[in-house]
Amino acid sequence: MLIRLTLFCSLIMVASLVSGQTPWVVPSDWNAKLSRTSFTDQNRKTGGELYLTNCKSCHGDPGKNNVILLVPPPPDPSSVQMQQNSDGALHYKISEGRVTMPSFKNIVNSADIWNIIAYLRSFNKEYIQQTAPKPQFAGESFDKVNLELFWDAPNKRVVAWLTGVQGSVTKPIPSMELKLFAKRYFGNLMIGKPVETNEEGKASFLFPENLPGDSTGMVTLVAQLTNEEIFGLVKAESPMAIGVASNRPPLNEPRALWNVGLKTPVWLLFTYLTVVLGVWGSIFFVMLQLRTIFKIGQ
Amino acid sequence: MASEVNTNFLTDKRLDRIAADVLRPVGVDRNFIIWMTSLTALLFVCMYAYYIQLDKGLIVTGLRDYVSWGMYISNFVFFVATSLVGMLISSVLGMMGYKWVKPIGRIAEIIAVAFSAIAGLVIVSDMGRPERLPYVFMYGRIQSPILWDVTVVTTYMTLSVLLYLFTMIPDMAISKGRIGHTPVWLQKTYELLSFNFQHKPEQYKILLKAVRILLILIVPTAFAIHTVTSWLFAVTTRPGWDSTIFGPYFLSGAFVAGCAAVIILMFFVRNNYKLSRYITQEHFDKMGKLLFLVSIVYFYFNLNEYLVPAYKAKTFEAHHLHELFAGEFAFMFWSVQLLGLIIPMILLLFKQMRKPFPMVIIAIVVLIASWFKRLLIVVPTMEAPFLPKQYVPDAWMVYHPTVIETAITVGTLTLAVMIISVLMKLFPVIPIWEIAEEESAHPDQQPVE
Ligand code: HEC
Repeated sequence: MLIRLTLFCSLIMVASLVSGQTPWVVPSDWNAKLSRTSFTDQNRKTGGELYLTNCKSCHGDPGKNNVILLVPPPPDPSSVQMQQNSDGALHYKISEGRVTMPSFKNIVNSADIWNIIAYLRSFNKEYIQQTAPKPQFAGESFDKVNLELFWDAPNKRVVAWLTGVQGSVTKPIPSMELKLFAKRYFGNLMIGKPVETNEEGKASFLFPENLPGDSTGMVTLVAQLTNEEIFGLVKAESPMAIGVASNRPPLNEPRALWNVGLKTPVWLLFTYLTVVLGVWGSIFFVMLQLRTIFKIGQ
Repeated sequence: MASEVNTNFLTDKRLDRIAADVLRPVGVDRNFIIWMTSLTALLFVCMYAYYIQLDKGLIVTGLRDYVSWGMYISNFVFFVATSLVGMLISSVLGMMGYKWVKPIGRIAEIIAVAFSAIAGLVIVSDMGRPERLPYVFMYGRIQSPILWDVTVVTTYMTLSVLLYLFTMIPDMAISKGRIGHTPVWLQKTYELLSFNFQHKPEQYKILLKAVRILLILIVPTAFAIHTVTSWLFAVTTRPGWDSTIFGPYFLSGAFVAGCAAVIILMFFVRNNYKLSRYITQEHFDKMGKLLFLVSIVYFYFNLNEYLVPAYKAKTFEAHHLHELFAGEFAFMFWSVQLLGLIIPMILLLFKQMRKPFPMVIIAIVVLIASWFKRLLIVVPTMEAPFLPKQYVPDAWMVYHPTVIETAITVGTLTLAVMIISVLMKLFPVIPIWEIAEEESAHPDQQPVE
């Protein structure tokens, strides 16, 4: 048993060590994914600008093979290694990243990743673009899609309600996956797991009891449709007083080196003033001697 | 500095000769006017460059997001460094009783006054909005080394000016009747600066006490001024600056630059003012040995500063050192280390090299190298921030000083030279009373010119 366990562990370790060199497997649904629109010059231009700011530092100038020294090396955009990827595979790899290749899904939005792919493809003469068929949602199309957030106090749940407007009729949209986040200083904190909307178009999330809010317990919640392909980006944001009120003294409260001048640490204030007053006191004393010398000479 | 002065020298014939020798070059002559006019013309050109910077902002310099401290701050460090020699010669050596420093003490003080005064000005040249200078005092944080720096630079300058002034008072009294060949306004200035000094014992007593206080205060202040300057860098965690020995490293480097500056002025005074009787071969020999001493200390700090991080080669330090040793800055780095430190050290071991002429050549090279050394401390680190350089035009990645920036820097150097020229030409460069007292106390000792 022990031997098998050890073997298993070392296998995992070896696997993780060489993962840099192993082929990068893309899930098949992603591999088959295509852009819904044909790449235009505008797409390629936007993509080129994004490439310059986000990718060039590692992948170099396309076609020049001046990539940064990393193991495994980032391939040149015009290389076979890069171009043999399907459009979907490129989208997946750029979104997710692997080891030193950063994940861009939180930095560049999906549409812009397609723009970057349009740019990357401009270095492949053989490339002929295929586009995905227009998406259909249960045979319906909406003029507008709404997402609202409610607090279901008795059940301690946050409810997100997804509806579509068709002319003057509002209909719930079922079976769509939603994610719930709490806003933080840096990025969002996902709450629970993604939930699908039910027949009423509602997805309900159990809200943790101990999530800290601001000094009044306020938490800003963000709900978002996971799939951006069908309706585009659908998002709702709403502050709710459902967190635990947290009263932390602010960092700029105590006397500290990083604080404003009036909150200088006492030891520093004392040292500085003693030294400055001592030295300048002596300087003035010395200056006074000039007067004495002058007087004696009269 | 003795605690009492034997005023017998006042009646000694030697005083007349010394005063005549020292005061002969004093005054406004044709050469001086030509020299000052050319410097003023140069200064105006540089001030025009500054006008452009004032009008357009720092965009006319090579300073950008990454390298925001370029030539200006390097120049500032150079000025502060060079000014420290006043403390080394007058205070440390003087108070230890080394008599040979008496004739060159005032030269060192002149350097201290001029360089510390301009150091403050150089900081202003690095400011995009110089009219906000008062904000440093209005909103300054005592926690910030910048404020400490402003404090110590001002203090050191004041102390240096006072020391220069006090040791000059007896000379003003001696000279005021003997400078009939100079303009009246200068004679009036002498009269004013003599503060009614009549060589009375009480006056000497007070004078010596004041000078003693100044000499003592100058030592910690000088240490503080350059240590704080080094802390502006060392309190950050950046590669090349994140060092615990930055204070002594800067201090020892300062003495190298300062000694070189003193040697250059000594050579000038000896030859142009025909004062070889007072600034003798022996002075050059001694200064050569002093320069060797401070150089070897500086070499030792360099060894620590580069070898220890190079041995560990932590990622960012390794990159930084690679840039210095073999990369973008290699040529400048090795030129500075070899020409400014190692070769002078070897040469100074030979007695022949400690003669005036070879010494002044060595000193000039050392002084130039020490200017570039400051650039090597400031720029490479700024060019290599921790976070990747992104989202900026390529031109911002590397620092290229512009002509305007260079002109403004030349302007500050010109200004320092102008202050030095005025002080050296219009006032006695050698303390007459100290030399006279020394000579009348030891009449048998004859200097070897
Ligand atoms: C920090 C450096 C870095 C940056 C920035 C970077 N990449 Fe990469 N990239 C890599 C590395 C390293 C690899 C190889 C990863 C591997 O094979 O494990 C890679 C691989 C890739 C691949 C997969 C190539 C293959 O082997 O199939 C694509 C596609 C890619 N990068 C696109 C991009 C795009 C587009 C950007 C900008 C949005 C970008 N990268 C930014 C380092 C980087």
